[in-house]
Amino acid sequence: MSPLTLKSLLNKRSDFTAWLQSWQEMQGNALAVEDQHHQLIFGEAVAGQSESFPVNLNDEILGWVKGGPQARLIAQLMSLQLQKEAEKKKLGAEVLSLYQELNVIYNFSEKLSQTIEPEVIAKLTLEQAIHSIPSHSGVVVLWNEETKQLHIPARSGLPLFNEEKLRSQPGLLLKIGLGGQSEIVNEFDVLKDSGILEAPVQSLIYAAMKAKHRIMGAIILAGMEAEQYSAAHLKLLVTLALQSSTAIESAMLYEKNIREVREREEAILRIHEVTKKFVPSEFIRALGKDSLTDVMLGDQVGKNVTVLFTDIRDFTTLSEKMTPEENFRFVSAFNARLGPVIRAHRGFINQYLGDSIMALFPDAPEDALEASIEMQEAIQDFNLERSREGLQAIKAGIGLHTGPLIMGITGDEYRLDAATISDTVNTAARIESLTKYYRSPLLLSGDALLQIQQAERYHIRHLGKVQLKGKYNVLNIVECINGYPAEELQLKLRTLDYFNEAMSAYLNRDFGLAAEGFQQVLRLDPEDHAAKYFINIANKYQHQGVPDNWSGAEAMMHK
Amino acid sequence: MAQKILIVDDEAHIRMLIEQTLEELEDEGVEFITADNGEKALHLIQSEKPNLVFLDVMMPKMNGMEVCHKVKRELGLEGVFIILLTAKGQEFDRQKGQEVGADVYMTKPFDPEMILEKARQVLALS
Repeated sequence: MSPLTLKSLLNKRSDFTAWLQSWQEMQGNALAVEDQHHQLIFGEAVAGQSESFPVNLNDEILGWVKGGPQARLIAQLMSLQLQKEAEKKKLGAEVLSLYQELNVIYNFSEKLSQTIEPEVIAKLTLEQAIHSIPSHSGVVVLWNEETKQLHIPARSGLPLFNEEKLRSQPGLLLKIGLGGQSEIVNEFDVLKDSGILEAPVQSLIYAAMKAKHRIMGAIILAGMEAEQYSAAHLKLLVTLALQSSTAIESAMLYEKNIREVREREEAILRIHEVTKKFVPSEFIRALGKDSLTDVMLGDQVGKNVTVLFTDIRDFTTLSEKMTPEENFRFVSAFNARLGPVIRAHRGFINQYLGDSIMALFPDAPEDALEASIEMQEAIQDFNLERSREGLQAIKAGIGLHTGPLIMGITGDEYRLDAATISDTVNTAARIESLTKYYRSPLLLSGDALLQIQQAERYHIRHLGKVQLKGKYNVLNIVECINGYPAEELQLKLRTLDYFNEAMSAYLNRDFGLAAEGFQQVLRLDPEDHAAKYFINIANKYQHQGVPDNWSGAEAMMHK
Repeated sequence: MAQKILIVDDEAHIRMLIEQTLEELEDEGVEFITADNGEKALHLIQSEKPNLVFLDVMMPKMNGMEVCHKVKRELGLEGVFIILLTAKGQEFDRQKGQEVGADVYMTKPFDPEMILEKARQVLALS
C-alpha cells in the first residue's frame, strides 16, 4: 500500500479539489498549499507575513497551508479529508487481501474438482498451502483406519520432517495437540527430541483434515523463522484442509466404489467363463445369441452337421478294477486329451456321457474325420504313458455321421438345457457301437464320406451295409484306416484292395468269391476282425442262400 | 496528458477492488474514473477518452456488450482498449465478444496480479 500524500489528495479529481478551487475564487484570497518539503503544490506563492498551518495525518505533518486566517480552517479540513482517504485506503487494502484469498480458494476448488485421486489431492493441497503460506517445509499425513498406520501422501520443501520417525510414532502428533483442532504450535520440543522435526524448525502450523467428524489427517507446515505464522495463515490453512478433506473423502469413496464394481464385474466374468464351459459358446452362437443370458426356452436352429461319437471299449470291465475316484480321474484324463483335438478341428463337445463324448462339427465333415484320426493318435500316446505306468492299454471306437440336426434350448421354466434333437445323433451313436462288431476303431457312414472333399486323401475300406435297429433305411458303412499305428497300417494297406474287391463280390451275392477274398486278407493279416466277420456271413449265405430282395444289409438289432 | 483508466461495474466492491489492485499506477500519474452503469460509462468514454476500460458485461440499463459495440463499432474509438469482465460460470460468448470489438476478456473473481500486469502492458508502463 503506497503512502498517502497531500499531493495525491489534491491530484485526485475529487470533489474536494473542485471545492477548494471554487472557495479560493469566491474568497479572492491568496492561498497556497505546500508539501512536507515546502514544495508548492496548490495556488500561488503567498507573500511575506502570511501564516503557515500544518496538515496532519496521524501526528505526521504532510504539508502546510499558507494564507490568511482562513488557512487554518482549510488545513484542518484537509487533515480530516486525508484521514478519510487513509481509512478508505486501508479498508480497500483489506478487502483486496480478502479477495485474493477468495481467489486462491476458488482456484483451489477448481483444481480439486479435476482430480479423483487422493494422492493427487494431497499433493495439490500442500502445494497450494506452501504457496499461500510461505513455509520452508510441509507434509500431509493421513491416518488409515484399516491398517492403523500413518501414511504420508505428500511432502514439499526442505527435509525438515523425518518421515520414518513420524510414521513410527504417530502418537506424538497427539501430544502437540494434533487432534481435531488446528493451530499455530508454540511448543514442539517433543517433536524435535524424538527426531520427527529437524533442529532448524522455529515455527509450526497445522490444520486437521476432517470428514464427518472423523479426523483423517493433517496438513503440517514448518518454518525456519520465529513467529512465521499469523492468525490469517491459520484461517487459510483451515479452509484448505477442510476443502481437501472433503475431496479426499469423496475420492476414497469413489475408489472404493470402483473397486467394488470391478470385483463384481470380475465375478460375473468368471461365472461367464464357467457357464461357457457347461454350454459351449459355439452352441450359443449357432442360436444367433451372444451370451447365455440371451438364450430363451424354445430357441432353436437347424443345421447340417457331422456328429462324432467316441466311447471307451470295455469300459465296464476296466472300471470294475478301479475305485469311483480312480474311475473319475481316468475318464477326466481321457477327456482332457481328446477335447483339445476336437476344438483344434473346429468341433465342439456337445456332451460328455460317462465314458463317451459327443462332439459336433458344424463346418465340414473332413474336420470331423481329421479330428478322429488325430484322436486315435492321441489315444496311442495315452496308452504309451499308461504302459510305462504298468497300466493296460485302452481302446476307443469313433463313429461319424453327417446329416441335419436341430440345436435348441429345451426344458421348462426352472430347468433349461442345451439339447440336440436329431436322428443324425442316434445314427452316429449306432455307427460308433458298430466298431465293436468289426473291431475297427473309426467308422463313418457313407453319407459322411460322400460329403468329404477330396476323399481320396484317406484310405477307406468298405464294410458293407447295415440296417440299424428300428430303421427302415439302409446305411453304407466305411472304415477309415489312416489312424492305425504304423505297423498295423502297413498290413491294412497291403490288404486294402483284396478287402474292397471281396466286399464288391459280397454285395454282388458272389459269396464264394467274397469268402476267398476275405480269406486272402486274413492270410496276410490274421488279426483282421472285419475280414473274419464277413467270411462267416459269406459262408453262411453261400450255404443258405439269400432272399431275392436282399439289400446286402445286415440288420443290426442291438444298440 | 495523464493516462486514464475507466472502471465500470454496477457492484461497488468490484470497482473498489480494481482500483485498489491498480493503486500503484496512480503514483505513475495514471488517473482513475469509475462508473456504475453502461450509460454513464458511454458518456465518460466520449468525454474523457480513457486509454483503458474495465467493463463488466452484466449490468442493468446498458450492458457491457452494448457499450463495447457502441464505442468500437459506432463511435469508432478504436484507441480505447476494452477488457470485458464476466463472472466465472457465466456463459461467455467469445465470438460475440469479438464481434463487438472487445480486446480482451477476463473472468471474475479475477486474479489481481493478472489485472495489474495487463493494465501495465496496455498503458506501456514497465
